[in-house]
Amino acid sequence: MKKTIINISLVLIAYFLYFLQSNFFNWFTIAGVMPNLFVILVLFIGLFHGRTAGIVYGLAIGMVLDLVLGKQIGVNMIGLGIIGFLAALFDKNFSKDSRATIMFMVLGATIIFEVMVYVANGILYASNMELFNFVKILAVEVIYNLILTIIIYPLIQKFGYYIENEYKGNKILTRYF
Amino acid sequence: MYKSKKAGIIGIIITIIILILIVIFSNSDSNLSFFENVASNLVMPIQNGMTYLKNKIGGNNTFFTDINNLKQENEELKKKNSELEQSLRELENIKTQNETLKEYLDLAEKYGEYKTIPGYVINKDISNYSKTIVINIGKEDGVEENMTVIGDQGLVGHVISVTDSTAKVQTIIDTASSVSCSMSTTKEAIVCKGTLDDKSLLKAMYIPTDSNIIQGDSIETSGLGGIYPKGIHIGTVKKVTNTQNLTDRYALIETAVDFDKLDTVLVITNK
Repeated sequence: MKKTIINISLVLIAYFLYFLQSNFFNWFTIAGVMPNLFVILVLFIGLFHGRTAGIVYGLAIGMVLDLVLGKQIGVNMIGLGIIGFLAALFDKNFSKDSRATIMFMVLGATIIFEVMVYVANGILYASNMELFNFVKILAVEVIYNLILTIIIYPLIQKFGYYIENEYKGNKILTRYF
Repeated sequence: MYKSKKAGIIGIIITIIILILIVIFSNSDSNLSFFENVASNLVMPIQNGMTYLKNKIGGNNTFFTDINNLKQENEELKKKNSELEQSLRELENIKTQNETLKEYLDLAEKYGEYKTIPGYVINKDISNYSKTIVINIGKEDGVEENMTVIGDQGLVGHVISVTDSTAKVQTIIDTASSVSCSMSTTKEAIVCKGTLDDKSLLKAMYIPTDSNIIQGDSIETSGLGGIYPKGIHIGTVKKVTNTQNLTDRYALIETAVDFDKLDTVLVITNK
């Protein structure tokens, strides 16, 4: 029962984030650059919910984004799927108790996702590769994502540990050492 | 973790304030005037009071006798002011209405030879690296894939996929888009591609070596390539960059359409 509620609320959060991203953050930008909330969301799911959920949610959210705004299905889908998988790797190797490690994970995940999507788009549509401009936009986007992470960190932690207790239960060891 | 909860909350509040400041400063053109405003707001009220006092003390003996008259006058003026404000608001409403109607009329007249369907932009891309938009007309209104989309000033892009009631449009400033165009004076063909750098700049490539491209020349579609019909205005040449090799020189083209403020578009249904 609790698990169903958690999954429904995760889907609702993703739905809500879509509107936040496409309306609010389209206007509330740093020098015209938006943050990428979905990377944070999928990373969060992968970290606290487990590997399978991370990949499934990543693929599902990415597919919806591709269907609504992308040119072809696949780029965002695979990108976010990989982020879900990476999140599980991060979970195994790092502690989630400090704000700094979560920020580093967001930094890594954002860079990996955007580079992947950009390279894939470059290959698929033969668009111009403008390395300097890309790095410039990416840097601002990463900073924006980090600032948002600092702000929502308490939420991430509370909701995250609630989910983790529900799913992993007795298997959590690292947090108590 | 934080030692106390209070420190954490203060940290979050400070971060939010910093974020808001960054957003404001990075997006406004006149950063200095904001500081000037703040500074003058800090100083001016007191300065005004001081000046007022100084004037009073400096021998203005009608002050106390006039105060009743002033009160009366003030009330009358306030009443008048509110009346004026109301009529102003009404006028403002009529003005905006007039403007939108004019816009529609203009759009339809300018591209009279094409059959068009008007539509609104309902969604913009959520990624920083691609610039597709979604419009509120679709298959049910007669929109099909590869139809050309124009704005009031010029070319916007083409439809890449349709659902029953919406259509996805790839704009010409998207980095994956390339449009075959021609210069209006020399009629020579070039290719315009979108850039990441700016929301209103295109990069014109493959300029013929013997052509002399000039700043300010207007650029329109050439009709080659099969998607865009001939003769739709795109923009003007802003800057020509010469490289060592004449074959890979390029020009920057400023689009006629302002993609930040784009809200009404027309879809051309006949080719």
